[in-house]
Amino acid sequence: MRGRPILGSLAVLGYIIMIVPILFVVSTAFTAGDALTFPPQGLSLRWFGEALAYQPFVGALLSSLQLAVVSTLLALLLGVPVTLAIQRGKIPGKSLVEGLFLSPLVVPELVVGLALYQQIMIGLHQTSFVALLVGHTVLLLPYAVRVTGASLALADPAIEEAARGLGASPLRTFFSVTLPLLRPGIFSAGLLSFVTSFNNVPLSLLLQSRQFRTLPVTMLDYVQQSYDPMIAAMSTLILAGTVVIAVVAEKTLGFAKIFGGINK
Amino acid sequence: MTSAAEFTGVTQSYGDTVAVDNLNLQIEQGKLTTLLGPSGCGKTTTLRMLAGYITPSAGTITINGADATRLPPEKRNLGMVFQSYALFPHMTVAENVGFGLKLRKVPAAQRRDVVMHNLDLVGLAHLADRKPKALSGGQQQRVALARAIAISPSLLLLDEPLSNLDARLRVQMRSEIRRIQGETGLTVVLVTHDQEEALEMSDTMVVMRAGKVMQTGAPATVFSTPANRFVADFLGYENFLTQSDGGLITVRPEHLRVTSADRTPQQPGLTVSAVVTDSVHRGVDHIVTLTTTDATGAAVTLVSTTRRDTLSTDDLGLHPGDTVVAQARDHEIVRLTPEK
Amino acid sequence: MTRKPALLLIPGLVFILFGFAVPSAIMLLAPPSTDTADVFARLGAMLTDPYDLAIIWRTVRIGLIVTVACVVLGFPIAYLLARSTSRFAGMWLALAIFPLLLSNVVRTFGWLVILGSQGAFGQLLVVLGITDQPPQLLYTELAIVLGLIQLFLPLAVISCYSAVAQVDAGLDHAARGLGATKSQTLWQIVIPLSRPGILIAGTLVFAGATTAYTTPYLLGGSSQRMLSTQLFSYASVSVDWAAASATALIMTLLVFMVSGLSSLISRKAGVTS
Repeated sequence: MRGRPILGSLAVLGYIIMIVPILFVVSTAFTAGDALTFPPQGLSLRWFGEALAYQPFVGALLSSLQLAVVSTLLALLLGVPVTLAIQRGKIPGKSLVEGLFLSPLVVPELVVGLALYQQIMIGLHQTSFVALLVGHTVLLLPYAVRVTGASLALADPAIEEAARGLGASPLRTFFSVTLPLLRPGIFSAGLLSFVTSFNNVPLSLLLQSRQFRTLPVTMLDYVQQSYDPMIAAMSTLILAGTVVIAVVAEKTLGFAKIFGGINK
Repeated sequence: MTSAAEFTGVTQSYGDTVAVDNLNLQIEQGKLTTLLGPSGCGKTTTLRMLAGYITPSAGTITINGADATRLPPEKRNLGMVFQSYALFPHMTVAENVGFGLKLRKVPAAQRRDVVMHNLDLVGLAHLADRKPKALSGGQQQRVALARAIAISPSLLLLDEPLSNLDARLRVQMRSEIRRIQGETGLTVVLVTHDQEEALEMSDTMVVMRAGKVMQTGAPATVFSTPANRFVADFLGYENFLTQSDGGLITVRPEHLRVTSADRTPQQPGLTVSAVVTDSVHRGVDHIVTLTTTDATGAAVTLVSTTRRDTLSTDDLGLHPGDTVVAQARDHEIVRLTPEK
Repeated sequence: MTRKPALLLIPGLVFILFGFAVPSAIMLLAPPSTDTADVFARLGAMLTDPYDLAIIWRTVRIGLIVTVACVVLGFPIAYLLARSTSRFAGMWLALAIFPLLLSNVVRTFGWLVILGSQGAFGQLLVVLGITDQPPQLLYTELAIVLGLIQLFLPLAVISCYSAVAQVDAGLDHAARGLGATKSQTLWQIVIPLSRPGILIAGTLVFAGATTAYTTPYLLGGSSQRMLSTQLFSYASVSVDWAAASATALIMTLLVFMVSGLSSLISRKAGVTS
């Protein structure tokens, strides 16, 4: 920040706004007292224990994980062939098709959630898990298509032609050559999708039921009723878990590749 | 001749653009044939049709006597080397070279032998276990070559194989490819835009322009007697003069001799009066640029190139503005046919 | 396989059409037990009713404030990081982007701690002697704005960063060599060339800020309604489908208009984003 005071102060202000609230959450989680105050009264891990033992949190955590894993897999299973078709096939109106698969990023989530609530849960009498699965997968499809597309676009198309020329059938070419090339993209897309699904609130809020609630929704509910350090502790635990995932991902892939697909 | 491959009436068009126009071409068995021309002339399209990545809009392609026009690439058993080499980044050099063999279910031990034999052929046996990204451009190109040859193809197709290499490596690889072709006896089709490459490496040259063949023949023949202005131009000819009978002739700069007007020996062949515009040394050559008018009255620039150590002291005294005579002997004049 | 792309496309296509496009269209235009006419009647009513108009205006106003703030704060971060030669630049960038991996609940919750009546900020003001009583900053428009800025700043940073990173640093040197000050170089060279990225940043932030739910809900309460919280109320509390659809239509239209506007601007400027 070599002597650029205005830019520097603006940047500092930006970082303060982004990071300080999270710091507050983490610090209040370590309080030994009974109430959520800042500064925390004493230091203790007591509330972490309480959070981990609180049944609604634990149950919701499992639900969230389950939903995230299944919808990520479904999004990839549907999305990767779409990427292949768009990038390597000859389709009329290619950009329109791609636009269609990216459109969930533009339409407000609440609209999608309401639509699925009305039509799948009420209209088709399906469970909330089914509706949530559909909703989350729809939300994740843009990542599955875009992020894997970015890594495929980087690869030399002549490589697949080379495999064909050497005698590989189209199917063989896909498994021996294309899929290995796609691996980093699939991994990134999977990671981004998992996180997006796990953290999702609006869709999960609208499509919840007594049998199935996700963690963010449970936490939201909790905050409205009680204002105590347990929620801060749970948040800190999630934060720690996310840091671990991020570090692992960085070691295997590098941040640049993961976030390369976010820009529209 | 025995044809390894033949194009009959082959046309390829995309919408309004015609990339290849009614091509009739025979590729001779066991020889190195070059498709030469500027970009957009259809040479790469022709190669890719032969390989099976493009289907012709009209016409037939036969390979070893059998109709292959609509056969998919994986069934043609041709070896192709791409301009970008297209090595599989996640496999080692040995695995790359052995890929085609693995597809043909060659047992592992025999596969290893064939792979090593081909890597020896290109001089890269010591790099068998490296990954492509650890190799230089020249090494990658040789791996691509070994990979294509390993499957014992009926034809070897090379798409501008040397254009990504630096100048010195390019010259080296020209003779390498010739050597490999000689040792294996493979029929090779090579696409290039570099006329030096074509002249040095080919048994047969096919000069193309705008989807059509301009001239076919051995390099020596094509070079000494280009069929038309385009081919002559492409091969570096200068000195195009329209004659009084309407015909176009050309003379190579090395064959055009300049003498002062009063000392001209009488000889059959070309004799024109010209005015010197420039007289310079370039390395071992002496270059004189002249201007004259041809039979139609158009101004024409003439270039005469002479080795400096063959010049007499009088020749070196030319100055811009001098009126001189330019001459060429009969057998040095090339008559060009007008292009269709 | 690429000879028959249809086979690859069909599962995904069916899913996105019947899991997303069609249901959304139905929801917007013909929700259950309601006529399309009713929806549009309600829409018309909303566009004239002062209460509803206030909500729409609040949403747009907050959206604009947050967008401007995110660009004004985000671009400097992106610029300094993109031009930095420090080996910590990557770390700072990761720090700005990392919060995107967290749930909005976790990110917004911190503001409750800061802005609440027992909150840190209030205590700070008392300690500094600025006020006697810690002010109630929660459930105000300011709280929502702060929360949304926090939420969307990382997006703005990413967009601007990739735009600035693509501007050749050599151009900076060239300008300085010709006599431009640092400030002139920034305003006349870097910013114009980064315009596509800044435009994308603005579009993303505005779309996100006007449709966000969790943050306005937690920090706005029932007095500071935005379109999103209002929509939720119509859907779950009063179960007024016509109103819900009408609100959803307004929201969707708002986002589409902004996206359309931004691609119009970028095309006119002759820059491809």
